[in-house]
Amino acid sequence: MYQVNPQSNDKTLANELLTGETRAHIDEWLSKYPHDQRRSAVIGALHAAQDQNGGWLSQEIMQAVAQYLEIPPVWVYEAANFYSMFFTKPSGKNKVAICTNISCMLRGSEKVVKYAEQKLGIKLGETTPDGQITLVKEEECVAACTGAPMMIINGHYHENLTEEKIDELLGGLNS
Amino acid sequence: MTDTTNQVADNTVTIEIDGQPVKADKGSMIIEAADKQGIKIPRFCYHKKLSIAANCRMCMVDVEKAPKPLPACATPVMDGMKVYTQSKRATDAQRNVMEFLLINHPLDCPICDQGGECELQDVSMGYGRDVSRYVDSKRVVKDENLGSLIATDMTRCILCTRCVRFLNEIAGTDELGGIGRGDRTNISTAVGASVGSEMSGNVIDLCPVGALTNKPFRYKARAWELMATSAIAMHDGVGSNLYYHTRNGDILRTVPQDNEAINEAWIADRDRYGIHGLKNQENRVTQPMIKENGQWREASWEDALNMLVNQFKKFDGDEIALYTSNYATTEEYHLLKQLFDHLGSHHHEHRIHMTDFSEHDRMPRVDVALADVAEQQKIVIVGGHIRHEQPILNHKIRQAWLAGATVSSFGPQAFAPNYDLLHDFTGNSINWVKQLASLAKSVAEISQQKPTGQLADWVMEQKTDEDINHLAKQLLKKDTCALFVIGQISEQHPQANMIKALTAWLAQVTGGKVNELFTGANAVGAHQAGLFADGDIKQKEHRLNLIYQAEIQDFADQASIKNSLTNSDFCVAFNAFCDDALKARVDLILPIALLPEVTGSMTNNYAQRQVTMVAQRSPGETKPGWRVLRVLGNLMGFDGFDYEDINDVMSKTERYQAEPAIIHQDCKVLQPAVKGLALYPHQGIYDGDQLVRRSQPLQDSVLATSDTVCVNPSDLLSIGFNEGDLVSVEQGGRYAELTLSVSDQVPEGSAVVNMGRSSSLNIDAGDLSVGIIGAQS
Repeated sequence: MYQVNPQSNDKTLANELLTGETRAHIDEWLSKYPHDQRRSAVIGALHAAQDQNGGWLSQEIMQAVAQYLEIPPVWVYEAANFYSMFFTKPSGKNKVAICTNISCMLRGSEKVVKYAEQKLGIKLGETTPDGQITLVKEEECVAACTGAPMMIINGHYHENLTEEKIDELLGGLNS
Repeated sequence: MTDTTNQVADNTVTIEIDGQPVKADKGSMIIEAADKQGIKIPRFCYHKKLSIAANCRMCMVDVEKAPKPLPACATPVMDGMKVYTQSKRATDAQRNVMEFLLINHPLDCPICDQGGECELQDVSMGYGRDVSRYVDSKRVVKDENLGSLIATDMTRCILCTRCVRFLNEIAGTDELGGIGRGDRTNISTAVGASVGSEMSGNVIDLCPVGALTNKPFRYKARAWELMATSAIAMHDGVGSNLYYHTRNGDILRTVPQDNEAINEAWIADRDRYGIHGLKNQENRVTQPMIKENGQWREASWEDALNMLVNQFKKFDGDEIALYTSNYATTEEYHLLKQLFDHLGSHHHEHRIHMTDFSEHDRMPRVDVALADVAEQQKIVIVGGHIRHEQPILNHKIRQAWLAGATVSSFGPQAFAPNYDLLHDFTGNSINWVKQLASLAKSVAEISQQKPTGQLADWVMEQKTDEDINHLAKQLLKKDTCALFVIGQISEQHPQANMIKALTAWLAQVTGGKVNELFTGANAVGAHQAGLFADGDIKQKEHRLNLIYQAEIQDFADQASIKNSLTNSDFCVAFNAFCDDALKARVDLILPIALLPEVTGSMTNNYAQRQVTMVAQRSPGETKPGWRVLRVLGNLMGFDGFDYEDINDVMSKTERYQAEPAIIHQDCKVLQPAVKGLALYPHQGIYDGDQLVRRSQPLQDSVLATSDTVCVNPSDLLSIGFNEGDLVSVEQGGRYAELTLSVSDQVPEGSAVVNMGRSSSLNIDAGDLSVGIIGAQS
């Protein structure tokens, strides 16, 4: 079990960088957990911070989240760098994550990746020059194997992908 | 009626490991039982002092009836469990895990500092395949700069997370974490910050591979070239047990020696890197030196000692004084006392770091043994920056806090400890003592008891507030007794005896206990030898002064001692190092060896006598102090100086008895007047003795102090200078040039000056009135 150690009570960065809305959002997450397990609120807090910050998490905003949650900054970094839904570099407006885990792979996710890459002219992990679409570098199984191959666009699942369906979905994003 | 004779409350179960019956505590893990029995199970992430992570999977064992191998570090014992550590299933599992661990581990053992003492190397020899089947490319991880103490080669990391858990659980600083996921995980800091714990060096010992290694020791030697010498740390009153690793009589590094009663498995960075001060040749004296007409010349030991003998004969005993620091051996103190008894002088003092001499010297009061501090439930720190004064004691206080204890503190500054404080009463050097008196008043009012004598009047003058009353009520609750830890800030304070008397009274009324910290590794040894005087001997002018293993920086009143030395007819320093400030004031320097270079005994703050062995040859003509004093005694024609070797002297010192340590409560009330700002003479963690001052790795680390005077931001206006300006701190017509810095942690009306540095030589810790004016140069 990890230990929550005393943190500095300096909240300057948190008050400066996090909007009132974000802070209210984080407060809601904090209210769900006991104070000595406030680390649990980090994912909810990072989502709020990422939304506020144009879809990605800067070093400063992660620092601010740590300050606000009163947890060590390294815990925030760990979470932000672990989950594929958090972006620690500037990314496109729309996030397209193609599952490449085993079920999807057996059902042709490699082809899906190749097709999407060709269509958008970027590789996995890159963003289109117009800043519209980011192909998420890696997406592990999200428990939608029945509809493999699948992808997630901005948090929504799209299953049984075909080239036509991909055209339609990605085309819809560009408009 | 049931027969209870065979039902002694038994918290153990019996399991069988490799056919041997083993008793193990209920709820303990298989690996603990095996370790106790001496049965070897390979492991990387498991460490007896850290939480269980079970992420390296190396300790796989075969448990009967379990469907697959289980990790021994995370499988609790059960009665009748049968464990096989050598069966085919166990060894197959171990070999396979080993192969996975080596996939991304570079095979660069010949250029790795850990080579030869590497757990990965050893375990892979014992449990792995002899030839690697892996042909693909390996990952590379970017290194980080963790500061001057720890070198990194993160490509070698096997992600055991021992360092992460150490910093979270023991150090409490959380600087490292596992960033990324899967095969791309790496251990790093959040923002390239360096690791700043005062115990950070322990991650080097914990790291099972060559990812975290000792930076100053890097590429210096191979493990098999080194000899280990068992020794005692000399930088604080804990006396941590350690090993000096030497090659050809040269100390190359320090590692901890386990001692559950003292330092467990850890040592402070100060104890690990202090030895690098020995390598600093600047100001090291290696030959007796005589000053003639203001010029130094090298001399033989014979000439030097004869000169001293002639000087001794010139003066009466009363005209001779001795000042010694608290980090020499008891044997040296014993001989010094013998010498001074023969010379007929009682002016010998080891309390050079103190400013209040209104009481007699005595042993430190220690009601709670060091190891038991971790079991306390209420702790009150009275004037102590424990984290820097005794890092191991601070670790025990933290352990107590982790187990639910409350900790409160009184002091001249907020110190950001690695535990939460229930109350943190801070005020300038005068005010925090008044706050302690307020607590006494509150306790007195609630309990209807009063301190004795003058103290009572002074206590009852104070004002109390809600926080003080809250703490008073908490202390008076009869559920558990409180431990009052009197720190070194109190010891150095001009009101030291009042602070101690108040605390003793508080403990008496609340049924609490007192632990007093003394500065220096061997203050108790010096006391037992009898090296103390009545009152402040600096106040009296002596014609011949002896300085024994001390620099001006070791004194609390640095300006005053400079005066005393300058005003004497003759001054001799028995020292390992002699800087310009001291050289300017002495006439004779005798080079004597410093602690890792001598054998002897030391008695720590907790009255534990320990013997430390010589680990390094001393340079040039340097001699062990006891030997010089013995010859000096002979040259003077004194009886009782015919010791053959150090054991002869030790047979005297081992008979020293611990005396009862009683804090007298009927002390005088001294109320120093403060004009201008109140000085807080801050003793930096790496400014405390000759070695740490000269240890470059420590001086380059984040905890090192600098030549600053620190004030509260709200005082800037009245001072009239800005942060970063070069200013003069004025005290009694003397000036110290320092850089002005600002911190919220410093209370209003206070000036924090870092003592023990050459920049603080004009400051007396005992004079609390200082002003900040423009730079004089």
